[in-house]
Amino acid sequence: MNGRWRTWLLVGLGLVVVVAAIYFPFLRRRVKTAAKIQQPTEEQARRELTPPNPANPSDPVVKARMFWASEDRTGLAPISVELALSPEPVLRSKQVLNTLLAGPVDSELRTLPPDAALLAFYLLPDGTAIADFSEALATSTPSGIESEQLAVDSIARTLEANVTQVKRLKILIHGQEMETLAGHLDLTQMFIVNNKAAQPVSLSLGAAIKPNAASAAAHAPANRTTPRQR
Amino acid sequence: MHTELYAAANQGNLPRAGLNMVVLDPAHGGTDPGARGAQGVRESDLVLDLAFQVRRALEAQGFQVIQTRSGNENPSFDDRSAMANAQRGAVFVTLHISSTGLPGTVRVYAQPDMPSGLTTGGILSWDFAQAPYLTLSRKFGDAVQGQLAQRFRGSPGNAQIASVRQLRTTAAPAIAVELSSVAVEDRSELDKMMPGVADAIARGLLAFRPSYVLPVAAGAQP
Repeated sequence: MNGRWRTWLLVGLGLVVVVAAIYFPFLRRRVKTAAKIQQPTEEQARRELTPPNPANPSDPVVKARMFWASEDRTGLAPISVELALSPEPVLRSKQVLNTLLAGPVDSELRTLPPDAALLAFYLLPDGTAIADFSEALATSTPSGIESEQLAVDSIARTLEANVTQVKRLKILIHGQEMETLAGHLDLTQMFIVNNKAAQPVSLSLGAAIKPNAASAAAHAPANRTTPRQR
Repeated sequence: MHTELYAAANQGNLPRAGLNMVVLDPAHGGTDPGARGAQGVRESDLVLDLAFQVRRALEAQGFQVIQTRSGNENPSFDDRSAMANAQRGAVFVTLHISSTGLPGTVRVYAQPDMPSGLTTGGILSWDFAQAPYLTLSRKFGDAVQGQLAQRFRGSPGNAQIASVRQLRTTAAPAIAVELSSVAVEDRSELDKMMPGVADAIARGLLAFRPSYVLPVAAGAQP
């Protein structure tokens, strides 16, 4: 009897060890996954630090001009949107860019990917704006000169139409300078906005100037792109 | 990046030889496929096929052609520009297929205005190597776009302006040619466009050739 009990006990213990050995890797994987879900990515953490739309109910409601794609998507077409816009240029820029990112009623006319977000926006005293977008702007904008230009141009034109203090624009992706947006359009340069030579809406992008403002001053002043017939 | 081109521009030493060479740049390659279509077509493969056709059309007109890549490699933007910058009497054409746009249309792009790029002493900065050639590039672009507009309905009549990274560091009349698009249902639609694009580039270049007088000083615009 005693010997039988001992055998059953040993078999039972052996089974427990086998089951534990099989279950252990699964358990480890589940713990790891759970840890990953709880830990926000660096970008999520930054998004939380920068609340998306700092709208203030006391801001006056004005007609903002948003540059989304034209019907045939070969260029941009301004659409008037009633928005509560702050008179303070940084806040105002964030408000219009977030509206631009949110997209028009007709989502076919979007110029920026729906998963892209504005992470930060700075304005230097000389009118140089630095707009830092999430990685999705680079990874989700369709690759191509036409599509990348439409994206950048919509950002530059919308700032130009609504924030007079912005003179040039530098676009960063997740805090970094990128060589191109999605393989074609040059992001190492600045885009000229609000050069009051009153340009018609055209495909032309801001002219490229040297990123370093001090050395740019040493060169001839960057002219705005001559609008070209389309 | 900050290698400098020795233009010796102020001495008026820029080559005055006529236009005899074309540097063709099939964009992307290697690990960078460029635009990708739902049917699995890749911009990097398509532009290589296009480059071979453009090459044939140009050689038939007596131009000498070199390519920045002939296989599935991916030279850097600067390496590609360097191939053109080492030539005399060359123009540069970078070839692309877009993700978007009206299918069956083709657009030509030239670089927007930029600082002169000339340092004291007449050395042309690598970063702004395109600066002295802006006017020529636009003229070349208009000539090719005019030819394309005759063949591909819905294409614009004049060259467009865009800050294309590849063009900025190229010290030669330089344009980007972009076909729409990888979104076509069948790649044969793009294959059918290629002979027309090749012919338009060759004819546009012939029309542009008499205007090809290199800037006297690299800082001045012809």
